[in-house]
This record gives sequence, C-alpha cells and structure tokens, in this order.
Amino acid sequence: MFCEKAIELIRELHRMSDGQLPAFNEDGLRQVLQEMEALYEQNQSDVNEAKSEGRAELIPSIKLRHCCLLRNQRCVTAYLYDRLLRIRALRWEYGSVLPANVRFHMCAEELQWFSQYKKSLASFMRSLGGDEGLDITQDMKPPKSLYIEVRCLKDHGEFEIDDGTVILLKKNSQHFLPRWKCELLIRQGVLEHVVS
Amino acid sequence: MVSFVTARPAPQAAGTVCSAVPVGRKFLNTHTKKQTDMDPSEVEFLAEKEMVKIIPNFSLDKVFLIGGDLGPFNPGLPIDVPVWLALNLKQRQKCRIIPPEWMDVEKLEEMRDLERKEDMFTPVPSPYYMELTKLLLNHASDNIPKADEIRTLVKDIWDTRIAKLRLSADSFISQQEAYAKLDNLTLMEINTIRAFLLDTLNCMYKLRSNVQ
Amino acid sequence: MSDALSDDGSDFNQDDTQEDVMTPAELIAKLEEAWLNEKFSPELLENKSEVVECVMEQLTHMESNLQRVKKGDAKASIHRMEIDRIRYVLSSYLRSRLQKIEKYFPHVLEREKSRGEGEPSLLSPEEFAFAKEYYANTESYLKAVALKRMPSNLQTVDMIKAVPEPCLDSFVFLRVKERQENILVEPETEDQRLLITVDPGDIPEIKTAQRSHQEACPSSSPFIQNKD
Repeated sequence: MFCEKAIELIRELHRMSDGQLPAFNEDGLRQVLQEMEALYEQNQSDVNEAKSEGRAELIPSIKLRHCCLLRNQRCVTAYLYDRLLRIRALRWEYGSVLPANVRFHMCAEELQWFSQYKKSLASFMRSLGGDEGLDITQDMKPPKSLYIEVRCLKDHGEFEIDDGTVILLKKNSQHFLPRWKCELLIRQGVLEHVVS
Repeated sequence: MVSFVTARPAPQAAGTVCSAVPVGRKFLNTHTKKQTDMDPSEVEFLAEKEMVKIIPNFSLDKVFLIGGDLGPFNPGLPIDVPVWLALNLKQRQKCRIIPPEWMDVEKLEEMRDLERKEDMFTPVPSPYYMELTKLLLNHASDNIPKADEIRTLVKDIWDTRIAKLRLSADSFISQQEAYAKLDNLTLMEINTIRAFLLDTLNCMYKLRSNVQ
Repeated sequence: MSDALSDDGSDFNQDDTQEDVMTPAELIAKLEEAWLNEKFSPELLENKSEVVECVMEQLTHMESNLQRVKKGDAKASIHRMEIDRIRYVLSSYLRSRLQKIEKYFPHVLEREKSRGEGEPSLLSPEEFAFAKEYYANTESYLKAVALKRMPSNLQTVDMIKAVPEPCLDSFVFLRVKERQENILVEPETEDQRLLITVDPGDIPEIKTAQRSHQEACPSSSPFIQNKD
C-alpha cells in the first residue's frame, strides 16, 4: 500500500504523549522519499505515454499516484512540524540549553532551527525595553505568597535577607524565607522548597 | 480524453496531473493548550486584587505603589489593603484580617436559601466569593468566627450554582441557542464550564455549518 | 455570519483614543484589561506596545529605586510583591501573544501585509520581526530536511493553506461595560435574527463573529470589568 510509511511517521508521534520527543526517524523519512520518487517516475512515464499515444486508461492510475504523492508530502510535513512544536515547548521548559538526551534525538536541521528560534526569542525579549529586556520564559505561574518554606540541602553559611536579618544556612535546617531571595539558591541546589 | 475530474476541474500544470486531493484541510496543526483556558491559579491571582480590611500591629508611612497608594499603617487602626498584601502580613504575623461583611454565617445562610429557591442565579456578595473564602480561610481562619460553618455554607452555595449552571448549559446546547445571558455568574464559575462548553459549541457549529 | 455586527462602530470608539495623561494605576488597569482580552480571544488582538513600554519603564524605575533602599525597609518587600505581580501579568500577556503569533504565523503576517494605510498594526515592531524570523526559519527548515528531496513539483508547501487560521466563529464570554442597544446576534439558522440589548455587568455569551465586530465594539470585550 502506498503512504503506509508516511502514516507510520505520524503514528509514531501520535503514540508519544505531548511533551516527548522520539528520535528523529531518518530511516522512515528516507523510505517515504524513495516511495515518492518511484511514484513520480512512474507518473512521468505514464503521462508521456498517455499524451503521445492517447492512452486515456492510464489516467486513473496517474491520478491515484498523484494523490499518494500529495498525501506523502502532507504527512512528512506534518511529522516535521509537529516535532518542531515539541522542540519549541522544550525551550520554554528547559531554557536555552537542552539536555543531552534530548539533543541526541534531534537531527542536524532541527538543531539549527532550534538555535535560530532561541535567537529570535532572545532578541524579542531583549527588545522589550529596560536594561536587559524582560525574560518572559520566567514567571510562568502567578506569584504566590511571598514567603516560602525551604530546607537547606548543604552548608551555605550566612545569608542576609532584605530586612537586614542574617540567618545561617546549615544543612538540613528549615527556614521561612522570601521567595525572590531563594529562587537562585533553589536553582543552585542549596535550598529545596518544602511543599506542605 | 476521458473526463476523470469530478468535483473541481483544475488547470493542469505540466508536472501535476490532477488535483482532486483533499488539500482543503489544514494539516500543520498545533495541539498546545487551548488558548482560551484560564488556570484556577490565575483567577485566584485576580481575586487577590480585592480589598480587605486589616488591623495592623505595626506602623508604617504611606507606601506609593505603582497601582496606587496604601497606608499609612498605624497599630490597631483598621485599613483597607489588597488581599495579596493582607495574606502576606498575616503570614508574618503583622496583622489581623477582618473578614468581609458577607463572610458571616447568618448572611450566608440567607444567600444559600435564596439560591436554592430561585431558578436564576442570585447576585453574589463578591465576584470572587469562592476564592476569597478559600484564601482567607486557609491563611487566616483564626481571624474568622465560625470558619468551618462558613466553609460549608459557601460550598453549598457554590454547589447549588454549579448545578444550575450545568442545567442551563445543557438546555443552551440542546435548544441550539446562539446567545445566553449569564448575569451574576463569577469568573471562577464560568471557568468550570468554559473549556467544555466552548469546545462543544464550536464543534456543533462546525458540524452544522458543514451540513448546510 | 459576517455583516451582522460590523460597520457601525464609529460612535463608540472614543474608548480607544489616546489619553495623554495616564496615572500609573490606570496604566496597570489597561495592562490587565489587555491581558485578559488577549487570553480569552481566539485571535491575535491589536498590539498595545505603548502600554507595554510604559509598564516596563515603571518596573525598571521601581527596581532601581529599590536598589537604593536601605536594608530592613518594610516598604521594600511590599514594593517587591507588587513588582512580582505586575511582571507576571506583563509576561503572561506577551507570552499569550507570542503563542498566537507562532500558532498562526502565516496568517498573522498576511494580515500585516494587507493592512491598509493608517490602519493600526496588529503586531508590535518586535513581534513583527519575530514573526518574520519564525516564518523564514520554519520554511527553510522544512525545505532543508525534506522538501528539497521531493519531486520537483512538490518542493513547496503553501503555509497559508497548511497552517490553521484562528477560528473567528468561536463562542466567547463577554462582560458588558456600557449599555448597547440592538446588538445583532445571528443564530445558526439564517432566517431568524436576534436583537438584544446589553447592560453593564451583563455577561452574554455570543460568537466572536467577525473581526470587525471586535473593533466596532471594544467595550464589550471578554471579561473586561468596569473599574470606573
């Protein structure tokens, strides 16, 4: 059956849940392209024959092959585009540096698309005014209560909060601290947010 | 030449033989989160803009916020502040929150009874009654008399209203109306059916307009 | 579906006229309004870059003031909380626009191209630059990875045809800010038309109808609350 390979590409993505990026199926893509080439060549010769020898009975099969060609093109494009959207989502989730196992699943052109996307997004955010622009990939959730409960994961020493109080961040100690003061330390793995 | 094109005869370019392929359907679709959704945390965020009375235990001069002035704060003197600030001050034990007037067992009982009696949605005491109840009871229940009874009453009112909402959504759809008046509904209430109702309507609209 | 709500918008457009003096509080209210409208609208709305710029200025100004505040100032934490809240609304607003631009990029650019002289631009200059790059990037990606390896008559994809358009016939929830008489609502069946009058505070639910409707009737945008 024609277009089986192309549908298989679509199915492959369909089976994955939204956030996942399977390995780029270079082999599957090549097989679709080969099928397209074969269909196209057969059509070329049939068209010539139909024209020169007036063989109208060839036309239905020409038509069928052409439909298959269009369908293949459509499926391949949909496959590629859907992957781009998944890759785009990764930028918003992981930031501008993708984890190695994700990069491993991308083809060279996708990596290129991604780096261009990063650039476009970065210059958009820089152009928003202020000194450094505005990083709109931050602040994904509405700000909640300003103070959060944190647990210290390693010894960090003295730490001054905004009102001038100095506290000692000792391993396993728990504190009630302003969120904006902790964010960086949480990212660095010094503190952990205790969700009650 | 045999005519093989049925629906739409297309001009034939040299390479292309025919075009009777369903190209009309858009295929580069996105399945990201629906644009028109609103997260409950966002509704809560909006609710936090509402003003509430507090009694501070500290003194502080006027604060000139971008969104308007607040204060001055004097110990023991009631003052209106946005809920987001009230909750923070409360969290740091800098104030006592005075519950809004409607957050009162007797008043809420009346509202519950009226809500059960009427077919239409009755006016609510605050456009964010549900979120405010939740926020204040979670963070300042010690400042609210009969907190548990209030929680139950507000839940009863909410349940009654949501049941009405489901009923009217159902008849809205089955009677194929193009317009519905939803007065007195709050954002949070609409939110519970927004995605579902709008998807349904859009779907049915598509089906119907394709039929014609 | 179309002509119902268009064309008679001229008399209630004052809402959009530029006020020269706006207090910071009014500015923030404008931002919140733009945010909610953008969030609930199925299509990209007109850009509000002057609001975005002013809010950015306010934030930067306040941040730099806070740098100079001496330690232990109780006011500083209140200011910070407010900044957090405003920055969230601003980011969420810009994100919501960017998401639509990415989703509908060929159509967004097409509308920008066919925009008449003097008609306000849908996209801010920054968004326009982003949309163009996104288009070029995506197009050249598809070409490089697959299309150029296809038969010669299949090497292009018409983006306008392939990428879905925003659905302007979607249903939306509206909150009414000013009384409007004789709003025409078209039901599904063609023969029957419905005239309604809406009062402030009403929340009718109708279809977005045509784009012209939104321009004609900015006062009844989704979930705008009258804060006067």
